Amino acid sequence: MNNVSDLKADADLILSTAKSLKMSSQNGSIAEYKVSSSQILGIRVIKDGAVGISYTEALDDDSLKLMVKQAIENSQANEPNPLEKILDLTGAVSDEASYPESATDIKLKTQKALELESAVKALDSRVVAVPYNSYSENEYMSHYLSSKGRSTTYSDKIYSITSSALLDDKGKKANYYDYHIAHTFAELQWNKVVENSLFHARNILEEKALPTGKYHVRFSPDSLKSLIECFSNFYSAKSAMDKVNPWANNLGAQVISKDLSIVDSPDYAQSFRISKFDSEGVLQKPMAIIQDGVLQSFLHNSVTANYFKTQTTGHASRGASSSLNVSGTHFLIQGKNQKPLPSKYMEVIQMDGLHSGANRVTGNFSVAVKGYLWENGQKTMTFGNITLSGNLMELLNNVEVVGDKVESSTDLSFFSVPLVFNELSIAGA
Amino acid sequence: MQLLQSFIAQDIISHGLSMGADFVDVFIEKTQNEGFVFKNSRAEDTQSGIIFGIGIRLIYGKQALYGYTNSTDREELLRITTLLGSRIGKENQTHAPINFEKLVYPKIPTVTDREVDAKYKLSFLKKIDEQLRTDQKVSQVMLNYSRKNQHVEIYNSEGLIATEMRPYIRLFHQVVMKDGNLQTEASFGPGAIGGWEFMEGLDTKEICETLLKQANTTLYAAPCPAGKMPVVIDNAFGGVIFHEACGHLLETTSVEKKASVFWDKMGEKIAHSALSAVDDGTIAGSWGSLSIDDEGMPTQRTSLIENGILKRFIVDRLGETKTGHKRTGSGRRQSYKFAPASRMRNTFIEKGPHDLSELILSVPNGLYAKKMGGGSVDPSTGQFNFSVQEAYLIKDGKITTPVKGATLIGTGPEVMTKISMVGKNLELMAGMCGSVSGSIPTTVGQPCIKVDEILVGGQA
Repeated sequence: MNNVSDLKADADLILSTAKSLKMSSQNGSIAEYKVSSSQILGIRVIKDGAVGISYTEALDDDSLKLMVKQAIENSQANEPNPLEKILDLTGAVSDEASYPESATDIKLKTQKALELESAVKALDSRVVAVPYNSYSENEYMSHYLSSKGRSTTYSDKIYSITSSALLDDKGKKANYYDYHIAHTFAELQWNKVVENSLFHARNILEEKALPTGKYHVRFSPDSLKSLIECFSNFYSAKSAMDKVNPWANNLGAQVISKDLSIVDSPDYAQSFRISKFDSEGVLQKPMAIIQDGVLQSFLHNSVTANYFKTQTTGHASRGASSSLNVSGTHFLIQGKNQKPLPSKYMEVIQMDGLHSGANRVTGNFSVAVKGYLWENGQKTMTFGNITLSGNLMELLNNVEVVGDKVESSTDLSFFSVPLVFNELSIAGA
Repeated sequence: MQLLQSFIAQDIISHGLSMGADFVDVFIEKTQNEGFVFKNSRAEDTQSGIIFGIGIRLIYGKQALYGYTNSTDREELLRITTLLGSRIGKENQTHAPINFEKLVYPKIPTVTDREVDAKYKLSFLKKIDEQLRTDQKVSQVMLNYSRKNQHVEIYNSEGLIATEMRPYIRLFHQVVMKDGNLQTEASFGPGAIGGWEFMEGLDTKEICETLLKQANTTLYAAPCPAGKMPVVIDNAFGGVIFHEACGHLLETTSVEKKASVFWDKMGEKIAHSALSAVDDGTIAGSWGSLSIDDEGMPTQRTSLIENGILKRFIVDRLGETKTGHKRTGSGRRQSYKFAPASRMRNTFIEKGPHDLSELILSVPNGLYAKKMGGGSVDPSTGQFNFSVQEAYLIKDGKITTPVKGATLIGTGPEVMTKISMVGKNLELMAGMCGSVSGSIPTTVGQPCIKVDEILVGGQA
């Protein structure tokens, strides 16, 4: 930072460090055992109004000097951008995780990791493999420091487990995986991932294609999260600035059903990790993105706020090696005007191909789905080998709220009341 | 320039063997990245950086123990080796002296580099931006230029020392078009191993015209009808269908776990006799080529399927240990943060005898997928899905109405038997492939093919 000061530039630094352990098993023994420690330092320099970014994983003096030099050179290649400035914030804020737990012996970790495979195999003779299974623990720390005098510290520790079940019944195959994350080893739900994997894989063995047509659809919380997050550009001021947000000119207009409200809730009590500040060191608070169907605000960082002549909403995101962007924290979909569940609907539990089958500019999507058909309160069949097509804007306008109990995604970052979407196109048998 | 002093790498290997490992390798990487995003008709995001780290792998039986760090400190590297080796539980083993020798291997030619400064590069991008904005309906152009020089050093307990410099260059074009409430986008991302001369060799006029034509077509296209139908998939990125529906299923990473539907099909007919396919790491200048893999084995051309018969898997060292199939120089990884795994390089369906017009003429009622998007597969079941970026209906052997929103789904074993006609117009296309050892440059490719029947997702 002293080098930067000498060059009469402003800057901010991000230092990220991580440590991890991962184990996975195959045929009853640990086939993969991985340990790591890593670090990366990134700098964003603003000199003569132009921005340059550089980063390094080597932290010796020469590498640090080279990083600053490259950042300055990169800024000289860019045209001045009056919108981007280092925020005039000072003071230190900290968000360091503290989850007291006693040390767990590596032998117990190994034994439990092995059980992620063996327990699945023991429960069903048709299990031919457990292709996805792992135990991992990751510790992260990130420090932010700006030339204006802002500093932040963030740390977290996450345990995660994954299991799966690949079943083969007379040549017909089915695979399903499940995972769980926790802040302490003791909180991990080992049985849940084993049982869920097997439960759904057994059902998928029986999958059939539904007839082509229009159906009512209810997404599992994880599927709905994938869908909503895939179109995160709809809520992003950065996307609006870049002219790839279809709602760019719709502030104050009704964009989705009047029965729905969407809130970005950094401090949502049920979330996995409450978020306190963003990547520019701005403190975060809950914010209505959509209230009763009306678009209230986009997610902003300081640059988009300057562009739209408003205030940052505290949604800046930036890693050590990336430029300033915008991202949400925890999404909460609230609903009103509750209706009963329709007598017949599809419950989607798995959605594949969204990364390539979605057009973020138009909101159109077409994906492969699996799940259950419900008729008169009963699961009547498992469906698969079909595609579901729609448009996000139409989907969120043609929706019914069918409950008031908020459901959460597995990673506890997305929350929604139960919803049923009407008349979605299915291509199948 | 040496990335790690040889004696430290050799000490790590010796220590790993003394801890009871059957095999030890050390992978050292220093990568210089450079990138521009040209957006809103200006350079908006210029950045560069250095990735540096060391990965240590101990193989014991069929187990892989892997650790990585950014540190070059000998004591830290030995500490990690000890941590890994303690899993084996056989300390103080003796081993024969290792004679380390630098590997000499044929270098795959790359596209020539030449020095140009940042301003020159930006002026090059500006011209493309201007060409794309000649259509008044274009609301945004995004050009993402990336350059990566990956320097790797590999040592192993068989005495191997291997080094390679891998220059990557790519320009991703994206154009957004708007007319009233209608919006669409089109993209194209050519890449190569090599330098700036690749960029200057691009026919930017043709690229821009093709992108504008595609966007204009899809902007006004009708929704794609849904249902099972014959599909003609055109060349180049159309090869993503083989990559996803078959290629991933031939990687020993899946085969060794029996998590591939093809794990026990070696020598059997798994595809229509019209189809032959290869995974070739030796193509000069091609995005997925490399002279040695990330385990230090010289790369090769691997014939995977010949006239429908499965001939080879895509094999890394651990895959060889676990399956008995010989290595194919296919151990690849995104960076030192990943242990190597069997991965594709330039993977494509070989040329057939037909013209595109013959394939179209053979379809009474179906879909012509002119340009494919991405896709994904579950290797354990073979179930895949692909999006189609530009498509047209075929009626009575003629290409007719443009349609949008098409998705193709099916299973690898099924679709491979339904590729009944293969064209002459083989082309390759750069892409990124994500899997167990991270995101790596791979090339897909094919001539045009006809699939007799596949489920097309669209509007019911």
